[in-house]
Amino acid sequence: MIALSMRTSLPLVRLHQAATWALALPPAYLGVALLLTAAAFTRPNLLSPMLLLLIMRQAAPLGLAAMGQSLVMRCRSLDLSAGGVVAMVSFLLTSGALPLPGPLAIAAGLAVGALVGAVNGWMVVRLRASSVIVTLSVSMILSGLVIAWSQFRSAGDAPELLRAFGLARVWGVPLPPIAWLLLLVPVGLFLRSSAFGRAMDAVGANPRAAELSGLPHLRVLFLAHVASGLLSAAGGLLLLAFVGVGNVTLGNDLALNALAAAILGGINFGNGRGGMAGPAVAAFMLVFLFNFLTSLGLGEAGRLMLQGAIIGLAALAYALRHRGATST
Amino acid sequence: MTLARTGLTRYTVGLPLLLAVLLALSAADFRQPQNLVNFGGQVAALLIASLGQMCVTLVAGIDLSVGSVMSLASCLLVSQADPVLAVAMALAMGTLVGAVNGLGVAVAGVHPLVMTLSTATFLQGLCHAVLPIPGGQVPPSLVAAATGQVAGVPLPFVWCAVAIAALGALTTRTRFGLHLFAAGSHPRSAHLNGVRVRAVTVSAYVLCGVMAATAGVFLAARVATGDPNLGASFPLESVAAVALGGVQLTGGIGSVAGVVAGTLSLGLLTNGLNVFGVSPFLRGVLTGALLLAAVSVQRRRHVGL
Repeated sequence: MIALSMRTSLPLVRLHQAATWALALPPAYLGVALLLTAAAFTRPNLLSPMLLLLIMRQAAPLGLAAMGQSLVMRCRSLDLSAGGVVAMVSFLLTSGALPLPGPLAIAAGLAVGALVGAVNGWMVVRLRASSVIVTLSVSMILSGLVIAWSQFRSAGDAPELLRAFGLARVWGVPLPPIAWLLLLVPVGLFLRSSAFGRAMDAVGANPRAAELSGLPHLRVLFLAHVASGLLSAAGGLLLLAFVGVGNVTLGNDLALNALAAAILGGINFGNGRGGMAGPAVAAFMLVFLFNFLTSLGLGEAGRLMLQGAIIGLAALAYALRHRGATST
Repeated sequence: MTLARTGLTRYTVGLPLLLAVLLALSAADFRQPQNLVNFGGQVAALLIASLGQMCVTLVAGIDLSVGSVMSLASCLLVSQADPVLAVAMALAMGTLVGAVNGLGVAVAGVHPLVMTLSTATFLQGLCHAVLPIPGGQVPPSLVAAATGQVAGVPLPFVWCAVAIAALGALTTRTRFGLHLFAAGSHPRSAHLNGVRVRAVTVSAYVLCGVMAATAGVFLAARVATGDPNLGASFPLESVAAVALGGVQLTGGIGSVAGVVAGTLSLGLLTNGLNVFGVSPFLRGVLTGALLLAAVSVQRRRHVGL
């Protein structure tokens, strides 16, 4: 690098360094930059502060689910049960099956999420079952139950408190993204500085070494699953707050989009390089992308094709960039 | 518990037998020859797709794009007048998708869930571009090939038998089959022993793509029309069938016999629910419970994925 800088001009070297630095970032950062630039030229309306805030509001549920997903992925596990959790939470809160006042109903919804996460975690940790299969089956069971029960109890309105929360603004900023950020920052700091965060990194880097060094390997993994279930339920509550009425298909794409957001945010199985900010930026990127593609007037076909291509290419670019580091 | 390379245990083999005996004893309709023929048609597509899924699972991968490949195959079938050309196009598409998935996973190192999920989304869009709404006519010769009879044997059984024989021979009788198991159980030692792990992995994904396209051709011919959402339930069901059959998602353990057993279990469950008139909405619940029970009794050393 020094020899290079003697021969070439300093700005060029700076540029090269900047490019290297940018490529090493999670793909979501570059993706957001590219998308915002593309939108500035083709659909400048999308960049108005009001719409950006609305997009952030829309991204909050995915952001919460991606946060949970990133926690389990750091521990080399996976949680695909978000769809079922959201369906169950939405059913419990809107069908009148739980005759509880608003705050208690919301707490019950969160408790259901944590419980599902605990069941997932228990099966993964104690029964040593594959997390892909466990969480998929749990999701199938929960959505199946909700569909079967919906024949007897039709979905009604979400609790008043929840709908008010979805619409509330503080100084013009919608409350859901504020709540998302308020959760994001402490959790990020906690994982960076606490012993639990260190243990999580160690478990991800090498589960066997972590276990041999006496770290509570299984407990960390279990807690990650509980947190993921809880965050999926929180995301489901936000979705419900926006839509206002119960719906079985509310969280259908949530699990896979959360997985995509975690990966685009620089999280991979066993490493948390993207931290807490990566998945959050990726969640914003995905929701902005959906809005952008809709605003371009693309039909279902073009939207899906572009969405698949963008996620795939981002993951490819990131994987090729880090291939040397991970293949050893 | 140490597992044999086949992944077969008394549970994986016993479950379909138990279900079949229960159904045969309790429901007279189940024993009707017509129901058995229907049953063959119902499970054939899932069996073909699951055998492809098995190849990918053996090298520690997973393919979520099988459903979209099946849907796209059905859309291609109705958009072409010439059946031979249509089938050739569908198979070429399956090969191409498998190659892209395989190269992304084996050469670039993208996680298989993410790689195949993005190709699945792309292909789903392509399905809607080729055929926006369900409809069209599958060529009659293909319909006959999926629903007819030869010498009194319903043709779906022939499709199943050919798929089972081909994959069985490939996994247990060829060098490639041995390499599949080697690359899946320990890629590094396989590589040190001269197995071309990347080439084997790419081939496994290509094989899965071709099998998925075949399953799509069969299913489209059976329902005689094209549908952009034809295969929507197949990614999960094929993974479920593979897992019920004792194939380990961590790679290197599995067998064609196990996949047949897993597919039969799922098929018998569906058929049994129809025969008993249970709400089809509860089918997902029962499938999920069955899967949970199946993975719970196969305790692994590995924790996590």
